[in-house]
Parts: sequence; C-alpha cells; structure tokens
Amino acid sequence: MKISDLLKRSGKNLRSAKIRTVLTSLAIAVGGFTLVLTLGAGNGLRDYTSKLIESNFDPTELMVGKDKEITNAGTPSTEPKEYDDSVSSLDFGTTSLQIKRVTKEDIEQIKQLPAVESVRENYRIDARYITRENQKKYTLSVERFNPAQKPEVKAGNLPGGSDDLLKGSILLPDSYLEVLGFNSAEEAIGKNVSIHVRKGLPEFTESTGRDTAQKTIEYAISAVTKRSATSIAGGQLPVYVSGPDAKILYDFTSSGTPDYEKYTYVNVRIKNGTDEDVLSKAKSALESQGFYVQSSKDVQKTVTQFVNILQGMVLGFGAITLIASIFGIINTQYISVLERTREIGLMKALGMRSRDVKLLFMFEASWIGFLGGLIGSVLAVILGILINPWISEKLDLGDGNSLIIFNPLQIVMLIAGLVLVATVAGILPARKASKMDPIEALRTE
Amino acid sequence: MIELEKVVKEYGKRGNAFRALDSVTLKIESGSTVAIVGKSGSGKSTLMHLMSGLEKMSEGKIIVDGQDFGSMTGFEVDRFRSRKIGFIFQSFFVEGRQTCYENVSLPLEIAGVPKRKRKIMIEQALTSVDLLQKQHARAASLSGGQKQRLAIARAIVNKPMYIFADEPTGNLDSVNGENVIKLLFSLNRSLKSTLVIVTHDHDLASKCAVQLTLSDGVITRRLAKVPKKRAAI
Repeated sequence: MKISDLLKRSGKNLRSAKIRTVLTSLAIAVGGFTLVLTLGAGNGLRDYTSKLIESNFDPTELMVGKDKEITNAGTPSTEPKEYDDSVSSLDFGTTSLQIKRVTKEDIEQIKQLPAVESVRENYRIDARYITRENQKKYTLSVERFNPAQKPEVKAGNLPGGSDDLLKGSILLPDSYLEVLGFNSAEEAIGKNVSIHVRKGLPEFTESTGRDTAQKTIEYAISAVTKRSATSIAGGQLPVYVSGPDAKILYDFTSSGTPDYEKYTYVNVRIKNGTDEDVLSKAKSALESQGFYVQSSKDVQKTVTQFVNILQGMVLGFGAITLIASIFGIINTQYISVLERTREIGLMKALGMRSRDVKLLFMFEASWIGFLGGLIGSVLAVILGILINPWISEKLDLGDGNSLIIFNPLQIVMLIAGLVLVATVAGILPARKASKMDPIEALRTE
Repeated sequence: MIELEKVVKEYGKRGNAFRALDSVTLKIESGSTVAIVGKSGSGKSTLMHLMSGLEKMSEGKIIVDGQDFGSMTGFEVDRFRSRKIGFIFQSFFVEGRQTCYENVSLPLEIAGVPKRKRKIMIEQALTSVDLLQKQHARAASLSGGQKQRLAIARAIVNKPMYIFADEPTGNLDSVNGENVIKLLFSLNRSLKSTLVIVTHDHDLASKCAVQLTLSDGVITRRLAKVPKKRAAI
C-alpha cells in the first residue's frame, strides 16, 4: 500500500471518530501550547536583552576593573580581601561591598597596551541640585555622557556616533521640564540651567569669608531626553554632561577624598574592537595584567544564561504535560485497535501487509500529534498576539519591543517534534494491530 | 486453477493437536463454481482459508494459479491475495463510518492500484451491484442486502481470478439472499473468475457446478453438475 494512501486512510479513520481524536489531540495541544509560548517568551526575552546590551554597551569597549566582583554577575564574593589603599566601600542598601578600584596608575598601565585606543573613567559626581532663575531647586544625578548609552530624545539632538557632548552643554531629562518652568521640550533647547555641587571634604577660607566648598555652574540644554525602553539606568534619568565637564565636576567634588581618582571600573575602547578576535586578544592581555574584564558579549551571555535557565524550567513543565499526553495517545490507540479488530482482520485478509497495518496505526497517532501541535501552536500564537501589547505596556518594554516573539521555524520544528513523539507513542498499539491473526480478528465479535 | 495435494491442517501443539483437515486432495478448474458444504466444524472454513492463503497448511501442497503457497513468503502470499483473490463474508465487514466508495477503494489501495485508475474501477464495481447511486452514502446507512452487495463490489473491484464467499447469504432474508446469489453467479459468468462458496444452504450449493462435502476434515462427497467445469481429484 502506498504511503500516501496510508496517510489518507489514517486521516479518514480519525475523522470518523472526531470527538475522541480531538480530545486526545487536546492533551498534546496543552503541551504544544506551553512549549510554543515558552519558546516565544524566551525569544522575546533574548531579543530584549540584545537590545538592552546594544543600546547600553559599546561593543568595541571593555569594562575593566581591579576587583573580580565586576565579573561575577552580581553575586558578591564572601571571601575576605587583602587590604590596600585602592579598596573602598560601595553601598547597596543596608550592605556594602568592598571593592578594589582602578587607580590612576592602573589607567596609565592600561593605556600602555597597544590595542587600547582610549580609556573612559566613570566619574562619581555628587551634585546637590539643579535650578533655573526664579525656580525652586531640585535634586539630580549627574553622569558623564556615554556615546554607547543613548537615551531617547524628546527635543534637540544627540552627538553623532562616538562623539562627546559639547563642553558646557547638558542633556536634560523631560521630568525636569515642568518643574523648571518650561512649557515644552522644544522651548528648553538652548536655555541655561544651573547645577550646584559641593566638595566632598568642605573647607572654608577664613581670609575671604567665602564658602569655596561649593559652586554653581551654568549649562546650556542641548537636548531633552526621555527614558528609553531599553535603558538599564535605574531610578531617575541622570543629567548627562560632557567628559571634560564631568572631569571638572568630579575633580571639584571628589578631590581630597579617599576615593578620588579611583574607579569601580573604566571603559576601555579597543582599536578595531568590532573584530571579535581583536577584542578577545585585548581582553586576554588585560586579564594577564591582573585586571578583571567584561565585554558586552559577556554581559549578554550572563543575562541570556539566566533567561535560558528560566525558559528551561518552563519547558520542563511543558515536557511533563507531553509525557502525560503520550500515555493518552497510547491508551486511545489501544482502544482503537481493540474496537477495530475485525477491520484489521479484513484488511489483512485483503492482502494488506503487517508492515502497512502497523504504519496505518502509527500514522493515526502521527495525525493526532500533528493536530495537537497545530491546535496548541495556533492557540499560543493567538494568545501571544493578544497579550503582547498588554505585557509590553505593563513591563514598560517600549515601542517595538515584545515579550513574546514567535519564530515560525521553531513552531514548525516543534510540531514536527510532536508528530514524532506521537508516532513513537503509537508504536506499541500499532505493533499489536500488525501482529493480529486475520482469521482470529475476523472471528472477533 | 487451484490444486491441493494431501493437505493437512492441524491446530495446537504436537501430542495434543486437533486435525481440522486430513489429507485433502482436489483440483478446481479456473472459472468454475464450487460449493463447500458440511456441518459446523467439518473443516469448510479451514479449507477456504488454506486455499486463499489466509492460513498456512501443516502438511501437503497448495498451488493456486501456478503459485506454490508452501514456497512463498508471507509478503508474497499477501501480494497474491491482494491482486488475485476477493472475499465475501457472512458478516459483510463493511466499514460503516466510511462511504461506499471508500469501502470499495480499500482492496485497490492495498493492491497499489494507481489512483487515476481507481475511480473507474470502483464505479464499475458499484454499477455491477447496482449501488453507484449510493457511492457517497455511508455504509452504515445501507440495508443488510445492500451491505452484502457492497461487500461483493469490494470483492470484485480488482477483477480477481478467485472469489471466496463464506456463507454469503447467511445474514440475509430470502429475497435479499436470492438476489445476492443471482448476482454472484452473474459476476462469475461475466468476470470468468473462480467462485468458491462455503455454505450450509443446499439450494445455493446446488446452483454450483461442483459440490464438495466435508466431514471431520475429509472430503466425503464430490458432485459435479456441469461436465465442462468440474472439480477433479
């Protein structure tokens, strides 16, 4: 008997027992639904992670630190560290982490490496407030502009490529517009605001009677920013200043403090860093000099690993559901074989080979798997399409980002997998059917 | 032609075996009509099963259409059956959930007849049993007589050389039984196939060219009605 005829006949046989077929298929569909949705969520999370990394990390840069904490994915080490002058405390809520920092000498050492194009220090700037003429004072955080970490722009323009901000200009978060008396983002462009900073170690010059421990600097707003959906900056969006301005503010606020010119990590730009081999060699060179290094790929790998573990757990639940449905198929097909004993006898009497009888029943199981896979996948895709906008809004993923992304090839492969699983489940009942003696089968009441 | 030589069929293990057929020797000419009669348990059905290759003999030789069943593999016997033998059973064995067309299509699918040839063969078979107008009806919706006619259509659809009918009128009333008998003999004439009928019905048996009576696995009587088509030892 031709395979095409066996396939058609097995399909017809299932159609003649519609309710049973659909109910058995639904068991597979539950597994298929879970797996398709989980795979979709995994795809979405990985895609979102990639976007996070792409929009927050320059792929040609390496994060270089002196403490292994920066490479251990946020799990603090419990081992005591040997003290030296570069160690200082980093506060996390009620706990603090002792971090060995990158010093000025370390930076000089890094710059000596031929592969290094530039080193960008991450200044911690302790700004007190921001204000404008006739307006109240508001707290803020100030950060050095990172060309790789671009916020969304509401008005104005960001510097192109890897260019820095112009000296004396800032990027103002849109949350300050109203409180600083601007009617719109466009109105704020080119206007001045004042940022007030204070020294970490206050000093008072008695001779002049002036407080030299604090100063106010005016900046022009070059762009108004809003939080990007892929921004990893926590809390309030910072006010960004240019590298030289950041240095001035940092020097003023930190000079004389124990943490001055000590950085948790520095960003090291590598020459031809888009080439992965070059980046990898530079990383090895830095590591061989005692630095701890992370590339954007390493960060992505860490996050993706977490996503994969989560996905693996949910896929495990889906697989358990599938195992349960396998028993459902075996049971249904056994009943079918018993019910159709005389039909099997007739087919064999008419010359149907045992192999073809076996294939007929295995194909019936395959159809059940296909139908279940199809139902599960279609339901999962429909649900995904329906809930995606809602989830994206609730999780604030931003426009164009989805938590669930379906990959058609993945779905096709999954359905093929379910067909295979169902076919394997159908082997035992099919074997029983193929081994029936035609005479005995025809005599069955 | 069907030839049996000292055919023995035993069931069960040695020492405790039951001999259903004991050294049966016969020859059935091609195109003849043969009735196998006898009491229940006499070995009628066993003889039919052996001649059609449904069961294997314990001893002896069976040659059908020049093919020695004893030297053929299971696959070869299956293929032979699918191409050259048609079956009609007392209980019809039509698949009620399928249409008449699908029921008749089954032997052709099993024999590997190309799809393009099937339609005309199925329609011819259904026409010959006067069921063409019911081809799309579910078999379950047919009456008993119609079901047996459908089973006959299924048996003749691939124009077999041999048709084996096991109590073909056993489940039919007299009117339908008579119609089925007329149909079987008419098809035997038109298709020139050999018709072997296992029956309790003496009227039906008397219509056959040859009557073989079995008792306790042995042929006890041979009666040839028409000299041109007869069974010989």
